[in-house]
Amino acid sequence: MIKGLWWKLLGVALFIYVLIGGMLVPLKSGITSVSPSQAAAGSSVSLEIMGYNTHFATSKDNKMWLKLDSVHLLEASKVDVVSENIAKAHFDLPDTFPTVESVPILTLVLDNTIDGGFVSPNAVFVGKKDSTDTVSSTATWIDGSKITFHKSEGIKFPYRSILNETIRNTFFHVALWFAMFVLLIIGLINALLYLSTRNMDYDIISASYNRIAIMYGVLGIVTGSIWAKYTWDSFWTTDVKLNMSAIAMLIYLAYLVLRGSTTDIDRRAKISAAYSIFAFAALIPLIFVIPRMTESLHPGNGGNPALGGEDLDNTLRLFFYPSIIALIILGLWMSKLLTRYQRIKEKIMIKNA
Amino acid sequence: MKIVKKILPLTLIWLISFVNAFAQGTSPDFLRSTGKIYAVVVVIVLIFLGIVAFLWRLDNKLTKLENQINNEQ
Repeated sequence: MIKGLWWKLLGVALFIYVLIGGMLVPLKSGITSVSPSQAAAGSSVSLEIMGYNTHFATSKDNKMWLKLDSVHLLEASKVDVVSENIAKAHFDLPDTFPTVESVPILTLVLDNTIDGGFVSPNAVFVGKKDSTDTVSSTATWIDGSKITFHKSEGIKFPYRSILNETIRNTFFHVALWFAMFVLLIIGLINALLYLSTRNMDYDIISASYNRIAIMYGVLGIVTGSIWAKYTWDSFWTTDVKLNMSAIAMLIYLAYLVLRGSTTDIDRRAKISAAYSIFAFAALIPLIFVIPRMTESLHPGNGGNPALGGEDLDNTLRLFFYPSIIALIILGLWMSKLLTRYQRIKEKIMIKNA
Repeated sequence: MKIVKKILPLTLIWLISFVNAFAQGTSPDFLRSTGKIYAVVVVIVLIFLGIVAFLWRLDNKLTKLENQINNEQ
């Protein structure tokens, strides 16, 4: 198989790269809150905008718009910068909006020289015109394609409300599951090789890979639970993917119990090889099929495939894929250690017998 | 070694209750401060602890094997 030291060093280097880059690359600018979130049509409204990683004070040319659709944007009449992360924008809302919806929902669009252009979706809900309000104006709508936005410099991870900085967990929690899957496939191949050749060494290798994969799986569930607490506000939700992956892990934990239940080496090898094929066959529908058939809090479930479009942008990929490779290599390394330990143990047992 | 084996589960329980205290107890907002970055830190620490647990177990297993070989000689 793989010889030498280079691949271990590669794994460690990649992991360090992911740790440093994954933690130090800043998030894009985002908006944490806009208040008030409701306004009456035809009124003059002043929005207090709280930003995250924004540079309202140091950047020049702060511009804000309320966007109805791509061709209807309303520019702020005045923008007051309070601090780096707080700004006030004044808008004169028109009496009528060019939409059939009874409650138009406006998206806040911001642009400045440092942060570039960014949006806060569904920021303001517009109610019916307040009859006591005297301010009346006909809006001057701007076509969105005519606005030139500034570009934000450097690599930045996308800002998502609720997720915020925890988007970095993609490199650790999600990558763990990917690495687990690769290790399980290697374990499965070795189990099949054992069944076809009856060479005891394949059983040892298969068990080692499965053990490390199970460790990754348990870590995946625990880290996911922590992530869920700070985004979905509960350590465990009724989300299908959570429960299905818990079932999958229980099936694999039974594999460990099964291996420990018999001292007869040949029987243990046969049973565990057959069982690991069954467990892997159960894993596919449990993790990949069932969560996609129903609604799920996990991205990429409920029909659409993951890793597409909005869920994983190119800056995340820059660290996500290296992280998977790093975790796979660390897993290979740990599995090889277990294999070597098991081989020595087996040799001593045969010698003593 | 026996003392360590007794301490380890206690340490784990302590750690879990520690995380729990952060989540529900006195300072619920620490992990949510600065854009929830500490939730990421906790995840990384957990992965590190997982690898440490693996090392710990392998260490114990090798010690047993060593003792076995040494006793035979």
